[in-house]
Amino acid sequence: MSAHCTENKFAITKTRKLVIACATVIEEMLPLLPPDVEYRILDFGLHVNPSKLRQALQDTINESEGQFDTIILGYGLCSQGVIGLHSKNCTLVVPRVDDCIAIFLGSCSAYHQQSRSEPGTYYLTKGWIEVGESPFSEYERMVASRGQKHADRIMHLMLNNYKRLALINTGQHSMESYREYARNTAQRFGLRYEEIEGSTIMVNKILNGPWDDEFIVVKPGQSIRFEDFFPNS
Amino acid sequence: MTEKNSRKELIAHLADLDETYVLKAVRHLLDKGQDPLDIIQDCEHAMRLVGERYEKREYYLSAFIMAGEIFREVMAISQPSMEQRLVGNASGRVLLGTVQGDIHDIGKDIVELALRCYGFTVEDLGIDVPPQKFIENIQKNPPDIIGLSGLVSVAYESMRETTHLIKEHSISRQTAIPIIIGGSTLSEEICRFVGADFWVTDAMEGVRICQRIVQKTNLQ
Repeated sequence: MSAHCTENKFAITKTRKLVIACATVIEEMLPLLPPDVEYRILDFGLHVNPSKLRQALQDTINESEGQFDTIILGYGLCSQGVIGLHSKNCTLVVPRVDDCIAIFLGSCSAYHQQSRSEPGTYYLTKGWIEVGESPFSEYERMVASRGQKHADRIMHLMLNNYKRLALINTGQHSMESYREYARNTAQRFGLRYEEIEGSTIMVNKILNGPWDDEFIVVKPGQSIRFEDFFPNS
Repeated sequence: MTEKNSRKELIAHLADLDETYVLKAVRHLLDKGQDPLDIIQDCEHAMRLVGERYEKREYYLSAFIMAGEIFREVMAISQPSMEQRLVGNASGRVLLGTVQGDIHDIGKDIVELALRCYGFTVEDLGIDVPPQKFIENIQKNPPDIIGLSGLVSVAYESMRETTHLIKEHSISRQTAIPIIIGGSTLSEEICRFVGADFWVTDAMEGVRICQRIVQKTNLQ
């Protein structure tokens, strides 16, 4: 579906949409992105510091004022990096999810189901593997800088209580090399490997709607609030 | 080296993750009669520096974990000296656990050690603790304070469910047991959502809140 068009007898108004997403989420969006929707990619590393993530998102929103009607955020609650975001002129849309794992799995309920079945799960996707900011990619850097004994000790601490490594396959990419990487990584660190079925349902809804109760839609002049993520509380 | 310089060096070396230096320096300072509370405060200062370097991306997550591990070791070394100083000054009893759906325990374990260093008795229920398990323990042996730990967003709802259940079961009590939530991603908004009494993002702040709670209770 292309960008939403409204037609009346006087004018044709095209809704101009902008997607702002981090490097991992955009990987899943690009194959489904309508050609007339623009996008900006923010550094995945911003997640380390939620206030910096919030500032980077707000700066990108501010720079885009006047050019778009709707700004779609390819983020979830993400350590509250989206809380307080606002736009003077644009409607902001953000999926009502804890983080991007729910986006890759297709819904919040699918994520919670996975989480309940094995809370000690480390999730990987094509995007995460490529961005290279997981504990597993840190391991190689640690071995190079401080030796294997030290690296093994820190990995043991970092992965304490983790039991499963789950590779999410959304069906959009050729997964062979990622599968091999994830399987080898699981074996190397004593985790149970599983490939779990992802979904493009949420990504599709983010890009094309409908923005139903799985989404927070904030009108111009209003801010995204923490409680918007928990409407039934 | 003067005491002031030794402590400055300790902070700098912990921030640089120099485990060997830090542990040797802590033993030396304790042998010379340095107050273990000062040492822990210095380590806390260094941990803040590590956090700043992590946020500036000068450090990766592994450095943050390593710093936490050194801090944990420092507290383990300091514990006997702390206990000697705290003889006769019994603190309160804290029931602690990582809530259901979350398995992260590095922060919780540091809090536990820190609380023990300050004379608290701690009952640690572990990770992925269902709300009902907290209730069973509260009924069996009511604590002075309850600490709910969690890192991931999924934990917020679990903390909320646990808090509500605890408060429901506390209705018949004369005074409700204070609930503290702890985790590096928490905020005032999350605390309001959860319905907890206090929230903390670092271990030592948690200890200070526990001390204030116990002091207040003792005065009543």
